[in-house]
Amino acid sequence: MTEIRPDMHINGVSSTPGGHYRSASIDGVIKVEGALQVDGLARMNGVVTVKGDLKAHELEGDGKFKVQGRLSAGTARINGLADVAGSVDGEHMILKGMLSVKGDCAVERFEAEGGFEVGGLLNAGTVDIRLYGRGKAREIGGESIRVRKMARSAWKKIWEWMFPKWNPEMEVDVIEGDDVDLENTIARVVRGNRVVLGPGCRIGRVEYGSELVRHPGAKANEEVKTGA
Amino acid sequence: MERELISKKELLDSMGISYGQLYRWKRKQLIPEEWFIRKSTFTGQETFFPKDLILTRIDKILNMKDDLSLDQVAGRLSPSLPDYDARKSDLMKRNIVTSVTMQRFAGEDPDQTVYPFEKILFFYVVDKLLQAGDMSMEEGDRLMETMRDHFPKFEGKPCELIFIRKMGVSSFALVSVPSEWHFDGGVRIVARLSMTECIEQLKGILG
Repeated sequence: MTEIRPDMHINGVSSTPGGHYRSASIDGVIKVEGALQVDGLARMNGVVTVKGDLKAHELEGDGKFKVQGRLSAGTARINGLADVAGSVDGEHMILKGMLSVKGDCAVERFEAEGGFEVGGLLNAGTVDIRLYGRGKAREIGGESIRVRKMARSAWKKIWEWMFPKWNPEMEVDVIEGDDVDLENTIARVVRGNRVVLGPGCRIGRVEYGSELVRHPGAKANEEVKTGA
Repeated sequence: MERELISKKELLDSMGISYGQLYRWKRKQLIPEEWFIRKSTFTGQETFFPKDLILTRIDKILNMKDDLSLDQVAGRLSPSLPDYDARKSDLMKRNIVTSVTMQRFAGEDPDQTVYPFEKILFFYVVDKLLQAGDMSMEEGDRLMETMRDHFPKFEGKPCELIFIRKMGVSSFALVSVPSEWHFDGGVRIVARLSMTECIEQLKGILG
């Protein structure tokens, strides 16, 4: 037996208790005072704070939104600023803006345009990062990892406003993947089967299985070929 | 008893798997979070694994992966108990638990009694140790009691059963994983069983 859940519609400046809903549409400056679970689409628009775990099949966050627990979403589209105190898991994360996660972030596809900060491990099948601001993670692991520095765009003014004096640069301790293709990245260790180090990379140690391509503008202190 | 550790790199080399596979299995929770042990080495922080656990686990994943999807493998490997029950007569007929054990520990239950998975697991563990000749019937009673009283407290988190003996006096303990224990000199560890492993085996047998 499946229970029919109500839909949540709320707007203005107010607070609401959490709960379990079929869908949620939240506009304005809203505080959700507890965990929120949504079976379908959760739309958050404005300045939204969820004071617990947020679980949704599909999530759209526009503006500024904050989760004080963990975030779990099948597909998460975040435009603007998002701040998660716990960890993030799900299938697909599409970020345009800035995401900050205290814990780990584990999704199948991580597509980011903007900047991010992951306190723990960023673990994804495909990591595709286009940096406008600063990217930071303790560790990145996955199958295919690609980082690009974006210089020009129609949105440049907005990004400059959002990330005032940040260089579009990524800082990670360890990057491990099958196919690693980096630009503007600072890392202690990069390990992969096929590794491409583009301009602006400063790497302590590179370990590669089959192939290493190093751009003249990339620095690596140590290059080691591993495996057979 | 110090657990032997294996570094991530050694693991990948010896099993012939890639970083991508390892991270995918981690995401699918085929490899428990607590097996990823971060340690400082002279080159910085690196990840290590409990060697025997991770090697058997990866062997299992590689073997199962051909017939099952990753999500199915995850279900088979998860330490949570499945919603499964079986009749006493079936357990004996399929020789999942020997009739001697059933006679002794469930002699009063009629043949058509239906046991939940947890109870079958207890029979299975007791049976295993009895068959190995490590444990007497009387000790089996106490083991049964220990598991019944304490196993549910782990709530699906991985745990191990330790069976020790000192000067003929035996004792059982359930401990959470990973853990380290150090005993005084007279103690002999008779058996050390991963309950998680037993659950997996039993799930495999029951199908």
